[in-house]
Order: sequence, then structure tokens, then C-alpha cells
Amino acid sequence: MSQTSPKPDLPDFPAEIEADPKQLPYDKEQLLRFFAAMRLARAFEEKLGALYRQGKLLGAAYLGMGQEATSVGCISLLDKGDYFSTVSRNLSAWFYRGVEPGHVLARWFGKDQSPSHGRDLGLFLADLENYGIAPFHNGSMAAWIPTGAGYALSFKMRKQPNIYLAFTGDGATSPGDFYEGLNFASIHKLPLVIIAEMNQFAYSTPPEKQMPVKNIADRAPAFNIYSEIAYGNDLFKVIDASRRGIDHARSGNGPALIELKTFRQRGHGEHDDMSYVPRELREFWENRDPIRMYRRWMIERAEIPALDIERIEEDASHQIERAVEYAEALPYPSPEAVTERLYAPSPHDPRAEDRKNIFEPIENPAVPSLTATKERSTGGHF
Amino acid sequence: MAQMTYLQAISDALRYEMRRDSNVFVLGEDIGAFGGAFKITQGFIDEFGAERVIDTPISESGFVGAACAAATTGFRPVVEFQFIDFIACAFDQIVNFAAKCYYRWGIAVPVVFRGPTGGGIHAGPYHSQNPEAWFTHVPGLKVVLPATAKDAKGLLIAAIRDNNPVVYMENKFLYRHYKEDVPEGEYTVPIGVAALRTMGDDLSIISYGATVHLCVEVARTLEREGASVEVVDLRSLVPLDRETVLASVRKTGKVLVAHEANITGGFGGEIAAIIAQDAFEYLDAPVMRIASLDVPVPFSPPLEMAMLPSVDKILAAARQLLAY
Repeated sequence: MSQTSPKPDLPDFPAEIEADPKQLPYDKEQLLRFFAAMRLARAFEEKLGALYRQGKLLGAAYLGMGQEATSVGCISLLDKGDYFSTVSRNLSAWFYRGVEPGHVLARWFGKDQSPSHGRDLGLFLADLENYGIAPFHNGSMAAWIPTGAGYALSFKMRKQPNIYLAFTGDGATSPGDFYEGLNFASIHKLPLVIIAEMNQFAYSTPPEKQMPVKNIADRAPAFNIYSEIAYGNDLFKVIDASRRGIDHARSGNGPALIELKTFRQRGHGEHDDMSYVPRELREFWENRDPIRMYRRWMIERAEIPALDIERIEEDASHQIERAVEYAEALPYPSPEAVTERLYAPSPHDPRAEDRKNIFEPIENPAVPSLTATKERSTGGHF
Repeated sequence: MAQMTYLQAISDALRYEMRRDSNVFVLGEDIGAFGGAFKITQGFIDEFGAERVIDTPISESGFVGAACAAATTGFRPVVEFQFIDFIACAFDQIVNFAAKCYYRWGIAVPVVFRGPTGGGIHAGPYHSQNPEAWFTHVPGLKVVLPATAKDAKGLLIAAIRDNNPVVYMENKFLYRHYKEDVPEGEYTVPIGVAALRTMGDDLSIISYGATVHLCVEVARTLEREGASVEVVDLRSLVPLDRETVLASVRKTGKVLVAHEANITGGFGGEIAAIIAQDAFEYLDAPVMRIASLDVPVPFSPPLEMAMLPSVDKILAAARQLLAY
């Protein structure tokens, strides 16, 4: 039985970027830098999708097309020493921070690429040292919110002026970890910024089956934290809202939750035909593609020569070609490596001499009903 | 040396490490002004301040996730579970984040998860469990269970300095029922080295945690009857001191494995399998196991006693093996 979707309640978002370029603090180089990261991610994901359909990709392909402005906008505001974590829709955030597409693709291919050396999927990455990308439990939704609280806690304990930025999706605001992490962070006024991308579907589940409120930000009052909602496909609206959230957190006022309304243009993974997405909704957001809107704005409003933009687009294609070459040429990890790097060496690991004298008798064993002595401290159990 | 209860030895280790290393901090429920449900951290907040003795909301998954993250930045958090039963609420963060992080990314997670285990104190199904086998099954975690006050101190200090997540399981009966001389100041026990609590030639009893005390009592009784029994206290299940286990088995040829956790899927099965594989030709009798029955820990004393291992149950099995 086919089910007709109800006509979606469409928001009032313009199909163009409204910012006045003269009012923005960005020069041409910076404007093109935003574009380069977004365009590179789009080209990378187009390639991933093609490889998936050709049967050349290991496992599934989860793409973030349509969420490039949310990713790049807020990540561009990070300072030195800030940490962040992404979900599977934020490749452009990595690229903005300088992550090499070839390295990402090599991980996707299961090759011997640091730091995972074939042990985890290509869509995950943790590299605190080089990019400030924090590790977390990528399996369970919202498991990264307590983790984010922990990074924010360590900034606070060390009196570092840094923040932790955690991307999350609408679906990932339902599990208990979302509540537990934000609750802890708010009690301790930790510099945690949640970038909640409302991309309309958690796999196939729409927001109305995910939450009893209209917006993710409607959950924020329970935590007594700063929150606001912005249009996520307009790069500058993303930047404005994220900046307020980040400033709030960096100033010691506690967490912030910035909800960005956007749209996941592809299925949950490339295996998903999105049959559950109403046509009107898809069309609405297709007319509001963040990269196309930004490109048009650069030419029409910011008067950036089309040639400069085309050069970046060509460069993105070349980078993807080089990434494929690099990833294909890289060897797989050797099977012998499978048990390596499981435990970190530690100061009290056993040495041969530790077994020389292991006779340590128990003189007076404590046995229930045989043991007469019992010391109680005041107030303690038992 | 100073006389300390098992509980005082745990407090002493924590205090020693917190004084030595400012990166060590503790967090858990009611551990600040109240000093914890069992008073392990009594007085800590006065000495170390609320920044390093963090009272958490009741949200194990939340504060465990936070502790693990802080651990990757150079802190050495020690998480207290009020009762180890509540570790179930944080299972996901422990087994899926803490345990796998170093393998996935080469980023170490030096965190200790500690809390009281064990039954026999009429606390019912949710305050009496022995869940060590949940964690020994997870590559990337270390699992230690001290049976003495000395080990409680030495293993906790080693666990805090360990660069991996360590599940440190205390026994709440031992807290105030066991007291001995414990070295003051610096004292560590390597993680992965067993101890012999008695030495003997006729039978090996392999155990860990509070059950070791029952086994020593059994060995004493059998000694009076002319048998010579060796009690091996594993102290650490992961990593496991296979060498000491196998050396004892090869000497005695008869093995009884005893622990308080229920029998099916318990760590004793792993010990029995290792012995069957690596010391089969030395065995003079089947490997026997004494453990709790496969039921939740019941509240009413006759039920609880029927469920738990006891000196009598271990003694009966030991006699059976000696006569085999």
C-alpha cells in the first residue's frame, strides 16, 4: 500500500543569500576559501557516490550533500586549540581545516593510512594533534555529547580559553546521552557548543516522530543554555548564529545550542532511495542548495570574477583525481598488524622479575559468618 | 607499614595519587561533601577542592563519557560508581569509546572505573552484582579485582598510572571486614601478575576477588586434614597471568576454579579452557568450577546464601577433586 505524504509545512527561507558583501569582514581570498572547502566536499562525495554505485567502495556511503554551509560556517570560527567533532555529514568541515582528501579516501578504501590504519571507517576521523578533531564513540547517536562535555571540562580545568564544538543531527538529540552530556555541561558552565543540524530526517524518521517539539532548540530551555535557530543553507546566517553561540561559551557562560535548518539531499546512505521524502520538500531545498546559492552570491553580489570560482572548481576535480590515485596506490594494512596497538604501554606492565616472589599469604581471611571484627565509619553503608 | 582496612587502602591510594599528580581527579555521585556512599573519598573535597572532587548528577553514561574525553587530554580521571551495578548505565561509553579509542586512533584513554561489587550483604539484585565478565570480553579494557588491602592500594595506583582504561572492581564486604599491614606512600602492584595465597602440591584453587578469602579458609581446613592446596589469586583478569596459572596446574594436576560471579559465561570458563588447552596432559582430574548459581542475586538471606559460593561449597568440590 502506498502512503501519500502529507504536504510538508515549508519554512520561509529565501532561495538566495541576502548578506551585503560590504558589511562582511571577509576579503576575496577568505570568501573563496569558504567556497573551496564546500566545493571540494561536494566533489568528493559525488565521487564516493559514483564509486559506491560501481561497487568499488567498501561498505556503505553516507553523504552530507546539502550540509556544506552548516559545516564550513561554524568551523571557520574556531580558534587555535579549540576541538570539534563531526558526524557523517561534515566532510567540508574537515577540508576547511586542511584534512587531505587523499587521506580520507585512503581510509574509505581500508588502506594503511594513519591514524586509523584500516581499523575504522573512512567517514570517521579523530586527530587532536593535527586538526583538533576529537575521538568519540561514533556508533551510538549522541554518545559524543558527554564526550564534548569532557573536552569542555578539561578546557575549564586547565583555564584554557577554548571551546568544544560538536555537530549533531536532529535524531541524535533524542538519546539519553544528549540529555546527560548537556545537563552535566550546563551545571558546570562548560564551553560546549552544539551545532544541531536539523536536516529533516534521521535515516527515514521525520522530526515529528523524533521529538514532541517543533525545533531542536525547543529542548534547550530544559538545560538553561543559550540557543538560537538559523537558516543553515545561508553561509553567513550560519556564521552569525554560530559566532553568538561560540562567544557565549567562550566567555564562560556555559553551553550553547545552535540549530541550523537544512536538508540532507541524499538518503541516509547511498543505498537509501529517500522514498519517504515528500516531493515538495525535496524541491524546496533543491532550490536552496547552499553551494549554488553561495556561488551565485559571489558572482552577483560580491563581484568575484567567475574565472576565480571556476579555477577552484577545476582544482577540486583535480584534487579528487589525485586523491583516488593516492588512495589506490597505498597498501592495505598487513594482517599481522591486527593485534597491534590495542593497549598503550604503561609503567606497571608486568616484567619477568615481578613473578619471582609472588607468595603473599593472607593471614586472616575475611569470610562471612567467620569474621568477627567489623569496623564501621560514620554514615557509610555496611 | 600501617594497618589499613581494604577501604582505607583504596582511599590511601587515591589520596596518594591525587597529591602526586595534579592530573588525577575523581568524579562520581555524592563523593564530595558526603564522601561517597561508602566514604572512600571522605575529606577529599577539603584537601583537593571541588574542581578535583566532582559531584556528578545521576547520569553514569554522561560522566563516564566526559571522564574518557578528559583522559585523552592528559588528565587521569578516576570514576566512582556508587555500586558497580550502575556501570550498566555507562556500558556503551566504556566498551565502545574507552575500550576502542586507542585501537582506532592511537589516542590513549587513561581512566579508572571503580566501584563496589559483591553480594552477601543482603542488598538485592541491583546492589550485589559481579559484572567483571561483561568487561573481560571487551578487548582494550583491563580488569583488576583486588582481594587484599595491599593489593587494593598497589593495584589502584598502578591502574591510575596505566595508560589504558582499567575497570577496578572492589568488594564491599571486604571494605570493613579485612585489615592488614599496607605499605605507606609509594606502593604498586603490576597489573597482570597473580599472587599465591597458599602454596601446595595436591590441588590448585584459582580464584580472584573476595572469593580468594573463602579459598584460603578451605586450604587451611584441608591442610589440617593432610592435603596441600595452592590458592592462586589472579588479581588481574585482563591481562591474565597465564604463566602462574599453568605453572600451578602443572605442579598439582588438579584444578578448582572459584569465583562469586554466576557460572555461565563467567571468567572461570576462560580459565578452564586455557588449562584444557595448554596443560591437558598434566591433569589428573576434570577441571571443576564453583561459582554463583545462574540467577539474579536474591535479597532474602536463605536465597542469597543458596546462590553464592561458600566455604562449604568450595570445600566439598575440593574434597571431591582430592579423592579423584
